[in-house]
Amino acid sequence: MLEVRDDNAAAFEELMLRYQGRLVTVLEHLVHNRDLAEDLTQEVFLRVYRARKTYVPGAKFSTWLFTIANNVACNALRSKSRRREVSLEVRESGPFGARPLEGMVLASSGQLPARQLDKTEMRDIVRLALKALNERQRMAVLLSKFEGMSYADIAETMDLTPQAIKSLLSRARVNLREVLEPYIEHGDHPVPKNAGH
Amino acid sequence: MAHEPANPDPTANQGSLEEQLVAYLDGELDDRSNRRIEELLATDSEARDTLERLEGTWDLLDNLDRAHVDEVFTKSTLEMVAVAASEDVEQEKSEAPRRRRRWSLAVSAGMLGACAAGFLAVWLFRAKPNDQLLEDLPVLERLDQYRQIDDVEFLELLLRSQEELFPEEVGDES
Repeated sequence: MLEVRDDNAAAFEELMLRYQGRLVTVLEHLVHNRDLAEDLTQEVFLRVYRARKTYVPGAKFSTWLFTIANNVACNALRSKSRRREVSLEVRESGPFGARPLEGMVLASSGQLPARQLDKTEMRDIVRLALKALNERQRMAVLLSKFEGMSYADIAETMDLTPQAIKSLLSRARVNLREVLEPYIEHGDHPVPKNAGH
Repeated sequence: MAHEPANPDPTANQGSLEEQLVAYLDGELDDRSNRRIEELLATDSEARDTLERLEGTWDLLDNLDRAHVDEVFTKSTLEMVAVAASEDVEQEKSEAPRRRRRWSLAVSAGMLGACAAGFLAVWLFRAKPNDQLLEDLPVLERLDQYRQIDDVEFLELLLRSQEELFPEEVGDES
């Protein structure tokens, strides 16, 4: 990144090649749209290029990059939800207050009998379970799972405390478990265990 | 000396058990909390079950696709950045004369200010011969008369005699 800061074009290309796939992956699962994820990835790289002179030597590049990505994605999601004029309220205590997943999964996989889920079906269900998380939980999960970031790095990326990330990831994983277990074990539709929270 | 509680509760003041188990799975606990969780897991089958279920569903995320981007994407991103860079350069160039003009104006204004300050300083602090002449004017006007008198004592004596001889005139003059 120091070479990019010093206007080395080849270094910028190298940086892009190293991170573009990872960025698209995280952003795609964050915004649920491949085209938008690619647009946002380009926007992130543009911002990286424009902010290259402000990069502080010693700062972890991936944390810096994903901080920009988080801001870009948050802005995109905000404007997307404004455009749609749809309130996407997801309760912190559970991902399916009004059981939105049930409809989504039914639409995706039809009536699920108690059977072994194939890879595509499993991927779709996991994707829907991830979609049921709120934005912050989803971002924390993606950074932890795909980027292997520590709580401290995720906290820096999302401008939160490590303790907040600990709670966020815990709630996210409990929510994922509540959504996914019924499918894995019985092929049942998800039923919130602690809807009273 | 710190005392370990007899039956340590691994979750005391550290969030829920699930929170601690997730942090344990993520390798984010300190040595002491790690030991406590392992002690709990060794004795509590429910905690073991919760841990396994949390780990199992977390592993399911491995089914999610990882994006593969092609060369076209890389190329278009690089082109976009190159265009932005050239726009930045153009903007820099177009702003350069304006910046230079602003700089020259600032330098001129500074020089003008310095000149004004210098003039003011000289005007305030230079020697003023006219002031001295004005101050000495009453003496200069009677210089011929004063030249006929040898010393100040004689003048004072003359003034006193005038007061005694012509008190009205002195009073009128004063």
